[in-house]
Amino acid sequence: MRTVNGRKWRRRPSSAAATLRPSRLLLPLAFVGPLLVVFGAFYLWPAVNTILGSFFRWGLLRPWSLFSPAEWDFVGISNYIDTLTSPRFWNSALNTAVWLVVFPLAVTVGALFIAVMIWQAPTGQRAFRTIFMLPMTISLVAAGVIWTFIYDPDFGVLSDLVRNLGIDFAIDWGPLEFKTAEWLSNPGTVDLGFAQIPLINISLIVAGFWAFTGFGVITLTAGLTAVPEELVDAARVDGARNSQVIRHVLVPALRRPLTIVATVSVIFALRTFDVVWVITQGGPVQDSEVLAVTVWKQAFVFLDSPQAGTATALAVIMSAALVVVAFPYLKGLLRREDA
Amino acid sequence: MVTSLRRMMALIAVVALVAGACGDDDGGGDTTEATQAAPATTAPAAPAGLAGDLDVVITWSGSEGEAFDASLEGFRTANPGLNVNVIQIPFGELSAQLTQQFASGSGPDVTVALPGLIRLFAGEGFLMPLDGLWDEWVGAGQYTESLRGIASADGTAYGVWFKANVNALQWYSPPQFSDLGLSVPTTWAEYEDVLDALQAAGVEPYAVGAADQWASTQWWDPFLARVGGAEAHNGLVDGSVSWDDPRVVESFQALGDFIADYFPPDALDRGFIEALCARTGGDAALQNQGAFVNLITTGECDPDLVPGEDYSFFLMPKFDESAPLVQFVSGDLFAVSAGTDNPDAALALARYLGSAEAQAVWAARGGFVAPNADVPISVYPDANDQAAAELWPRDPGVLAVYDLDDFIGGEIQSALREALQDFFRDQDVDKIVNTMVEVDNRVRG
Repeated sequence: MRTVNGRKWRRRPSSAAATLRPSRLLLPLAFVGPLLVVFGAFYLWPAVNTILGSFFRWGLLRPWSLFSPAEWDFVGISNYIDTLTSPRFWNSALNTAVWLVVFPLAVTVGALFIAVMIWQAPTGQRAFRTIFMLPMTISLVAAGVIWTFIYDPDFGVLSDLVRNLGIDFAIDWGPLEFKTAEWLSNPGTVDLGFAQIPLINISLIVAGFWAFTGFGVITLTAGLTAVPEELVDAARVDGARNSQVIRHVLVPALRRPLTIVATVSVIFALRTFDVVWVITQGGPVQDSEVLAVTVWKQAFVFLDSPQAGTATALAVIMSAALVVVAFPYLKGLLRREDA
Repeated sequence: MVTSLRRMMALIAVVALVAGACGDDDGGGDTTEATQAAPATTAPAAPAGLAGDLDVVITWSGSEGEAFDASLEGFRTANPGLNVNVIQIPFGELSAQLTQQFASGSGPDVTVALPGLIRLFAGEGFLMPLDGLWDEWVGAGQYTESLRGIASADGTAYGVWFKANVNALQWYSPPQFSDLGLSVPTTWAEYEDVLDALQAAGVEPYAVGAADQWASTQWWDPFLARVGGAEAHNGLVDGSVSWDDPRVVESFQALGDFIADYFPPDALDRGFIEALCARTGGDAALQNQGAFVNLITTGECDPDLVPGEDYSFFLMPKFDESAPLVQFVSGDLFAVSAGTDNPDAALALARYLGSAEAQAVWAARGGFVAPNADVPISVYPDANDQAAAELWPRDPGVLAVYDLDDFIGGEIQSALREALQDFFRDQDVDKIVNTMVEVDNRVRG
């Protein structure tokens, strides 16, 4: 017997499930079954297969199969050790780290700025929203092609602009070296002491920012419509300046959409591939190679030295990092759904 | 009744999904069968009355795709009962897609491929030996043993040449040379004199275009062939020569000096096409590229330029006059799947593609060097194509070396391209040699 809201309830002698006849179980199973099969075949099984495959040495010419034990070349955690001790991995990890820090920051701050501007615009809010959302409607591959043209040293818009406005310059200031040229080969570096960060990564992040920020703008604009006007009016009556309204009223009210934008940006940054592949293919040398590009090269390019096992190990490491990064967001989301 | 029907439908849907999901494994199972079914025989003569379907993978699109279709027309006409399906795969995706198709036992009957990929697939038993065809062709003087070696793996021929290219051509503007009082150099010393004269006249000697990684190998290969020689070049391919071999090191040193003296600062900033148009636009005097540039120059940069008059080429001179002539070539080959369901038709097509008849069709359209020596020079449409065709190594006494990185393929190819880009920046011979030694040792064990 248990008590709910002060009333005593007696548990029924048998649970509802136990009293269901087998024939009555079939119908719900038939509804859920196809989804479970799709989930198992296209999500769960590939994930399990990838994790298992990361413990074997294999390549795409001789793919690893769970059902061909005679052909297994078990290497234990060697693929993980090889990955974590490889200079290529650490170079890609550093470039990915640049994406992880700069991209979400740029998208979140940039989208907030644009969303507030649109929100405050006296007219044409819908038109502005559409304009900022347009880049989202094209594929990242197309965005990469567009920015390849923009960065072109001979006929690119950016190079032309720099030349015609006479603002081409070079900076050599402490750890920073930068020049307004060679955007996709060597625009400069930031020397961290233990490593040099090629600024070509920033050139690529700008392309990603252009393609992705519409998502942040739409999310935050939707969030802004939910902010009570009385709250903003009250702050203004109290003498708050615009910057104070944004900082003390809007940002707290937008905490949830800001978390979504930041988290999705982090996920985008960690798995970024399209923009990098189309514009530089990770080059020149390995200056802009990110982890997803390394996975692709190990699996599909290095065919003569079977590294698909190492590639899957790296993919597992990336997935684990994604789960860690996305966990706070997912946890919050699940908690809200439970409530 | 309605409930039973719904249950039945749901059950059918579940079974269909499971069956669909399992389909992939069935395909995987075919891999072994296809591999084991690889015939160990050489190519028979083409039988008459070919029928059925034949899948052919190519990488060409646009005008090149149309040129291939035109070349194929003779084969289609001769075999009306055969349905030839041409499948186009972008060049950058060819290796990945073919690998997956062959590994799952569903490779195309005939496919275009570079020698590195052919050697890789041949090693896995995916390709059909074609020595029968090569014996005929070499015997008839249509091809040389040197070209056969490029199409072979471990002494067995698996590839058929179709579209060839001659490299190490220095493209220039005859009117510009004339204005500057320069003449085409025939020795290395004259070559350097010309480059020095260009610099003295305030003209950038070269447009490089190494933002596209493959373009950097266009520089390394002629230096290796001219300084290190054909033996060092081919030794790097089969692993018999190490990257720290003195001949290889000397080649890197010569290239490093050349880069320091004559390369522009934006060598890595421009892609191949931008460099090409920069040269035709007068921003630089020369570009080191293959014969295929002839067609692209008017197509991509300036349609009004006249081949042979407004732009032409000379061959990079020998580094050492006493060394034997080594011709640096590249090109597209075709290979036949060992597991093809239509082996007679696939072999007949391979025979046709290697013939003068098929190659002459595209040669007449331009931007193409026919590897078959029986294709007459007169068939080429302009002076540049004819001059390039003249350089093709028809003479058995001329050694041909293939584009090194495409010949090796895989991780070494990728590492070489990256290392060369780095070398373009710093010309650090020790660094590039050590990098390549480390990668080579790791890959080849």
